[in-house]
Amino acid sequence: MSQSPFLALDGLVKHFGATKALDGADLVLEAGSVHALVGENGAGKSTLIKTLSGLYQPDAGAIRLDGQPISIDGPRSAEALGLRFIHQELNLVPHFDTVDNAWIGRRHPRRGPFIDGRAMRARVAEVAARIAPDLPLDKPAARLTPGQRQMAEIVRALMEPARLVVMDEPTSSLSEGEAERLHDIVRQLSAERCAVLFISHRLDEVVDLCDRYTVLRNGRTVGAGSVSDTSRAGLVAMMSGTEIAGTASGQPSLPLWERVGERGTASVSPDETIAAPAFPHPNPPHKGEGASGQNPVLAADLGFGPAGSHVSFAIRPGEIVGLYGLVGAGRSSLLKTIWGATPGRGLIALDGQVPGPGPAGRIARGMAYVPEDRRREGLANSLSIEQNLSLAHLSDFRALASIPAPSRAKIRAFAQATGARLRLVAAGPDRSPATLSGGNQQKLLFGRWLGRPIRVLLVDEPTRGVDVGAKGEIHGEMRRIAADGAAVLMATSDIEELLALSTRVLVLHAGRLVAELDGPSLTRAAVVAAAFGHAPDEQMPPSERSA
Amino acid sequence: MILLRRYGTLFALALIVLVFTIASPQAFGTMSNLINITQQMSLLAIVAIGATLVMVLGEFDLSVSAVVSFAGIAAAALFAAGVPVPVVMIAVLVAAVAMGAISGFLVARYRVPSFIATLAFGTVIGGLTFWISNGATMFSGIPAGFRDLGRGTLAGVPVPTLWLIGTAIVFWLLLDQTEFGRRLYAIGGNREAARLVGLPVRRDMVVAFALCAALAGLAGLLLTARLGSAHPTGGGGYLLQAYAAVFLGMTAFREGEPSVPGTLVGAAIIAVISNGLTILGVPSFLQDLLTGAIILAAVLVRNFGRDGD
Repeated sequence: MSQSPFLALDGLVKHFGATKALDGADLVLEAGSVHALVGENGAGKSTLIKTLSGLYQPDAGAIRLDGQPISIDGPRSAEALGLRFIHQELNLVPHFDTVDNAWIGRRHPRRGPFIDGRAMRARVAEVAARIAPDLPLDKPAARLTPGQRQMAEIVRALMEPARLVVMDEPTSSLSEGEAERLHDIVRQLSAERCAVLFISHRLDEVVDLCDRYTVLRNGRTVGAGSVSDTSRAGLVAMMSGTEIAGTASGQPSLPLWERVGERGTASVSPDETIAAPAFPHPNPPHKGEGASGQNPVLAADLGFGPAGSHVSFAIRPGEIVGLYGLVGAGRSSLLKTIWGATPGRGLIALDGQVPGPGPAGRIARGMAYVPEDRRREGLANSLSIEQNLSLAHLSDFRALASIPAPSRAKIRAFAQATGARLRLVAAGPDRSPATLSGGNQQKLLFGRWLGRPIRVLLVDEPTRGVDVGAKGEIHGEMRRIAADGAAVLMATSDIEELLALSTRVLVLHAGRLVAELDGPSLTRAAVVAAAFGHAPDEQMPPSERSA
Repeated sequence: MILLRRYGTLFALALIVLVFTIASPQAFGTMSNLINITQQMSLLAIVAIGATLVMVLGEFDLSVSAVVSFAGIAAAALFAAGVPVPVVMIAVLVAAVAMGAISGFLVARYRVPSFIATLAFGTVIGGLTFWISNGATMFSGIPAGFRDLGRGTLAGVPVPTLWLIGTAIVFWLLLDQTEFGRRLYAIGGNREAARLVGLPVRRDMVVAFALCAALAGLAGLLLTARLGSAHPTGGGGYLLQAYAAVFLGMTAFREGEPSVPGTLVGAAIIAVISNGLTILGVPSFLQDLLTGAIILAAVLVRNFGRDGD
């Protein structure tokens, strides 16, 4: 080899107690390349990155930069070497604007005794002009869209010359258009000889964007090479270690629920799980007109969002309706309005009845909601996994119907049954949900609605940042809930997921419902065009277009 | 409405001053009384500025009043032993800094909730103070030169007011115009993010707690200087009032974050209410009642129009 690679990780090992998070991880990065790091959740990607960023010290193995062995003592030292990290959970200070966030931890320019705000802004504007000229610089991060926050993080990373930018799941919170923007930036960085280490569960993105790949499984590098020499299927096989399996084999922890193995495949098939004795039937077969599928379960005629945009649609039993739009188009806001969590004008009807106010009124009528941000809006980390599962309908777990004190045994039984149905992999039902992988946390959010008949399920980003195996299982669960006669309304930024699951797709653009696509009109191109506001006339909504 | 919400606290201060001026133009609305108010608020405001630093981190230091009392008693005890003024002042401030650093270390290193850590440590300091003083007021041997640091005027401005002005300028610059200040806001806003970009989170937290205690120590020294005596619970009243000032100040400016100018406005509101009601002869129980109600009202106005939960 004539020239040593820009950065090489050799046989990194890292233990946490008895768990081997890294067990011989190798990675070779060429200068200016776009390198994909893939693997199921729990495969060791995050540990690898934290080792590279100096947050963890490896127990064994070497890191070489330009052929020289180096040690990275902390984030400062990684920064000094030109390594930049954009972590999966966006790490901006919410009340700082883009400029202040970009300057955190740097030497501020001064004019006399004062910080020179103008010079700070000018420098940030200069960086932003290169990659994100339309990024608002004076808005607090809390009020930026997820896409803008991502841009703000990238601007922060590029304030000083960088040799490598590591992006952990950068597009998982972005919609198609914003992801495209990000891809352009990645290509631009690469052209400027800055390498990008790109971590993503979206394999189509990996194949499109990256030159080379490294696959981690159980903390070990199991494959690496040029992306052009492999395929999506090949990557999946390497990640899972089997023929495209749905098993969570990447998980280091043991299954909590022993029946997981036997009941495993049953989780996608409604009939068999209904037979599970401990588990209440999720949805008693609805009678009369419901089964015929003609009368809508959910009818909405609403004004929502700050602009008060008006939308009107209906969903029939058994339908999975996809809700698509660019970030900021109002998907989450619409779901929250239907859920009664944010105020809106207009009406919704569930089985022809107007529900009571707020989420409690919705829950009483059989509506369920899985929020977008599982960490902030979903899980209570101070409660155990089983307590989280019981949270949405605590009163069902009373030992005595008249006394509002939940029975541990009933909660435990529900947790066991739900865990088995969802193939939840956890160290124990009494542990914190923070100990779960992203995919299992997401399953938990679905699981907490499973004790009651579900009439309407609202889901916001069902599989963001979730590995391939868990993604398949979550999709199976959603299909099963729909097959049981519920109406499912699913907002997603993942267009593969949208097309795979939806029987019909509603597209929002700037808070307005601009298209309703189904049957032959439901194509990737049509969805994207509508989301960008380019919908041809015949796709413009009105209601009477449904099959 | 937006203006009212944004600057409501300033309006409230102006309104309160206006009401008292109309109610009592001869006694309240005079220049000399307004100057007097700045003197009355000075020690409270100095303690509250210290509390602001810790609040910026999103933490509480509940030991401030214990440190005020300790500093006053420790100074009096050292004077009684004949120690010269500069040595006493430096020794007391160093002790206060050490106390704050210990609280900060417990919070930053061992992640003890600051509420508990400083409540417990404040109780320890209180015990120490009683031990030194035997529970009695100390007044012997306090030199006149030291007393002048807390009384009288310089160029027409009361000396405590000058201490407050100096403290406010230094700490406003520190919080608003230094990287240290920016780091404190960053840590308070997202501690994990601060850690991931390599900020010295623990060290900055320890320094903030130490500075908070240093200001409480300074207030204790000035209290003893002003009164010419020290009582082991002399600082007791400052704790709640200081945090009331910080909270009122958070409603005054800037995205609801604690800031030195905000805290000054908060302390001024508390001082004006107390001064005005005293002039009007309102009984003290009613003063407490009104002060509490006004603080609640200010915070409510700020949250008005937001979502319930």
